[in-house]
Amino acid sequence: MARGRSSLAATLLAATLATTLAGTALGQSPSAVPAGTPMAMPSGPAPTSLTVLCTPQEDWCQAMVAAFQSQTGIPTTYVRLSSGEALARIRASASAPEFSVWWGGPADGFVAADAEGLLEHYISPDSVVIADTQKDPDGAWTGVYVGALGFCSNTKVLQELGVDVPDSWDDLLDPRLQGQVGMAHPASSGTAYTALYTQVIRLSGEDAAIDYMKQLHNNILQYTKSGSAPAEMAGRGEIAVAVVFSHDCVKNIDAGFSDLAVSFPAEGTGYEIGGVALIKDAPEPIAARMWIDWSLEAATQEIGATVGSYQLPTNPDAKVSERSVDLSQVNLVPYDFSAAGEARTGLTQRFEDEVAAQPIE
Amino acid sequence: MPRGRRSIDPARIVVSTTSGAVPPHSIAAARPRRRAIDPAIAIALVVAVAFVLIAIVWPVLMVVGTALSADAIPIFQRYLRPPQNQILINTVVLGVVVATVGTAIAFLFAFVQVRVPAPRPIKTTLHVLALLPIVSPPFALAIAAISLFGRSGIITRDLLGLRVDIYGLPGLTLVMSLSFFPVAYVSLAGLMRSLDPALDEAAANLGSSRWRVFRTVTLPLLLPGMASGFLLLFVEALADLGNPLVLGGNFTVLSSRLYIAIIGEYNMLSGSVLAVLLLVPSLIVYFVHRYYAERASVVSVTGKPTGRLTEVTGRPARYALLGAAMAVAGLITLLYLTILLGSFTKLLGVDNSFTLKNYEAVLFGYGIQAVQDTTLLASIATPLAGLLGIIIAFLVVRGRFIGRGGLDFGTMLGVAVPGTIFGIGYLMAFNVPTQIAGFTVFPKLTGGAAVLGGALAILMVFVVRSAPGGLRAGTASLQQIDPSIEEASVSLGANQTQTFRKIVLPLIKPAFLSGLIYSFARSMTAISAIIFLTTPQTRIMTQQILNETDAARYGNAYAYCVILILIVLAAMGLLTVLVGSTVRSDRNPSVELAANR
Repeated sequence: MARGRSSLAATLLAATLATTLAGTALGQSPSAVPAGTPMAMPSGPAPTSLTVLCTPQEDWCQAMVAAFQSQTGIPTTYVRLSSGEALARIRASASAPEFSVWWGGPADGFVAADAEGLLEHYISPDSVVIADTQKDPDGAWTGVYVGALGFCSNTKVLQELGVDVPDSWDDLLDPRLQGQVGMAHPASSGTAYTALYTQVIRLSGEDAAIDYMKQLHNNILQYTKSGSAPAEMAGRGEIAVAVVFSHDCVKNIDAGFSDLAVSFPAEGTGYEIGGVALIKDAPEPIAARMWIDWSLEAATQEIGATVGSYQLPTNPDAKVSERSVDLSQVNLVPYDFSAAGEARTGLTQRFEDEVAAQPIE
Repeated sequence: MPRGRRSIDPARIVVSTTSGAVPPHSIAAARPRRRAIDPAIAIALVVAVAFVLIAIVWPVLMVVGTALSADAIPIFQRYLRPPQNQILINTVVLGVVVATVGTAIAFLFAFVQVRVPAPRPIKTTLHVLALLPIVSPPFALAIAAISLFGRSGIITRDLLGLRVDIYGLPGLTLVMSLSFFPVAYVSLAGLMRSLDPALDEAAANLGSSRWRVFRTVTLPLLLPGMASGFLLLFVEALADLGNPLVLGGNFTVLSSRLYIAIIGEYNMLSGSVLAVLLLVPSLIVYFVHRYYAERASVVSVTGKPTGRLTEVTGRPARYALLGAAMAVAGLITLLYLTILLGSFTKLLGVDNSFTLKNYEAVLFGYGIQAVQDTTLLASIATPLAGLLGIIIAFLVVRGRFIGRGGLDFGTMLGVAVPGTIFGIGYLMAFNVPTQIAGFTVFPKLTGGAAVLGGALAILMVFVVRSAPGGLRAGTASLQQIDPSIEEASVSLGANQTQTFRKIVLPLIKPAFLSGLIYSFARSMTAISAIIFLTTPQTRIMTQQILNETDAARYGNAYAYCVILILIVLAAMGLLTVLVGSTVRSDRNPSVELAANR
């Protein structure tokens, strides 16, 4: 309890105590607002908790939550769920939402959620600095980072297989790479959905994209749940190439997987704008808005690099790490987040029916 | 095999886990005169029936009901026709293969334990190693197997220079057989001990060779037990979710497909259809197993053994059997050592430098909440499940009301139904407040906004999954207690509650203890039933291990596994001390009762 965070023990205890007592206990949180923190406190009762649905990697989620908690004094918990999972979870609990704010994950997921009326529009005063292409004009979501899809290769494994580092989507279809390519499942992972929708744009059409995925399926070892997992598998040498966001590859190189190398498909690759959004009927709307405002600040967007997450910030004032991808050097496809988000449910269903269940030839 | 007075008798665990092997000689034949129903018994009955209906039957019916709607027909067609029927085929193939290999290993271990002469320390070690998988999370071995035998595995790659593929059926067979064989091993070992050696002797006296005796006498007597183990392992393999998620590769099975349908799509209709496809074979096999095992035990168990069991004395056979068992035990040791070493290593196999960071993350970082929540919930669930199981056992064995069989059946559904089905059943049944005629009967139980942060739903699932263990243990032991002891108590003026507390409970305490230990281990290691039910407020260790594994942070996953195993072992010790010590003081219940009067 003294930790001031909402654990089960706290919940159970709180259930037995009068609410006032519980309120007092939470108020004793050791992390009061440090003097001089520029945090606009909206009117209304002071928020006493915040539950964040966090989609990027666990350590970044932790760092963000810890920073927010220490700057605002609001006890904050989070659950890390991959993009598709997060969407499913918000949908499942729409009648009584368990989360107030959804932070991170490709904007397609936010577009899909908004189409189902699961998001509360909020145009943050801090969003004026964010480029128009990196936010929804109606405030359904606002961009907090940018990342480009790439290939994360284990050069040692590739060398043994006698295959060059791939620099084209077609390179992944090399029969020598059978069972050597890793990708997440588009139903659960935003990364994998970005990869899937990139094919739709690149090959102009869903049918062609599904065809490509069917061919790639022969080389896929396992569709993981979370999008960044294949990068670790490649680092470990379980697979030769992972289709991941390039920053997830760099993160693993930093973590000690020195055989990894990043490359990009020459014919064009997809990219993500990681979003933040307020969840409809959020139980903690004030704290959630504070989180959104805070997540758009330059200083906040520099937290990622401290834990090895080198996504590009959307706030132009934020420092860009030299480990981040230089988008001017990468050929990007004209990715359409709205179209991608709207196609999401149907396309993942098609993927499941026509690709994932196929036996390997 | 050491059998200390206070140690946990594995044969008891068998009874609780296998659910079968109920001695046929139910003594509860003679019935005394009719009495009015004791109010306490009536309350117990109402509570038990309500629990079974609400926490077990209703969620399962919700799933079945959804899958029987007209909308579901095309989905059934999709999964029953090519190419999607491959998932069903994979599931059955995996079940059969794991059950075969697992039963073979179980037989080997049981045979070596009972029939092969070997130094005591070796047998003890083999026994302990065989039981280790029971107290560890079900997919701990899968993670270790990737580190050791994966494509860059320490053994396959670094030592042997091979690049083998353990993803899919081969790897799943390896880890699932090793994870699930203990259940069949304990029951087979019990069965082998209870075989009447006179039969073997008679055959040998008639001039049969040892091999012929084994083939024509011993083996046929053991076949029902092996079949029962096979069926049980088949059900376990079908229901398993953790291993297919970690090591499945592109070998999709029903449980892993169901998982994607729910967490990736929140498609309750597809989820229900897949659940029913999984439910039907599981239930059929499970109840065939129960029926079969109960009948089979009539054939094979003929009372206490009278002579000494014939042991294998031929050197080649002895060494071959012992060698094979030790090889398997060596493999288990290696896998668990990997877990232990990996928990202290930065990136096992890549960067083998020593670190305490994994433990720091689990014990002092974001992991501690899951450790606390899981231990707390399992600790609450354990006595509840133990008590409920024993009470239902008492009602079923001693009670005289219509529908006793139904109560027994309903409770046993808790283990017969694969865990994932409870997961989605709870989501469907309890995700919104239950209202009857405008009144809220139950609040919302699942999800973060639910009562107690969703902890109540998880607690219920823990009890549902564990109570059958207490029920089986209690039934088996009650059937061996002559009801006349209880009748004597009642004749002396005690009511049924007093009789239950002072006579029955002390007599079945060993069974109660094994039921408790089993409950706790089962709750701590549960994954498939709770994976859809964890919330921001309530985190569960197995789910965290799975997350860490999926993100390939094996160090943290290993640290979680080690801590989980330690917690279960500590609880086993604690329970043995707590419950075991009271057994002594209450050893003579009739004397105590007399003193009270």
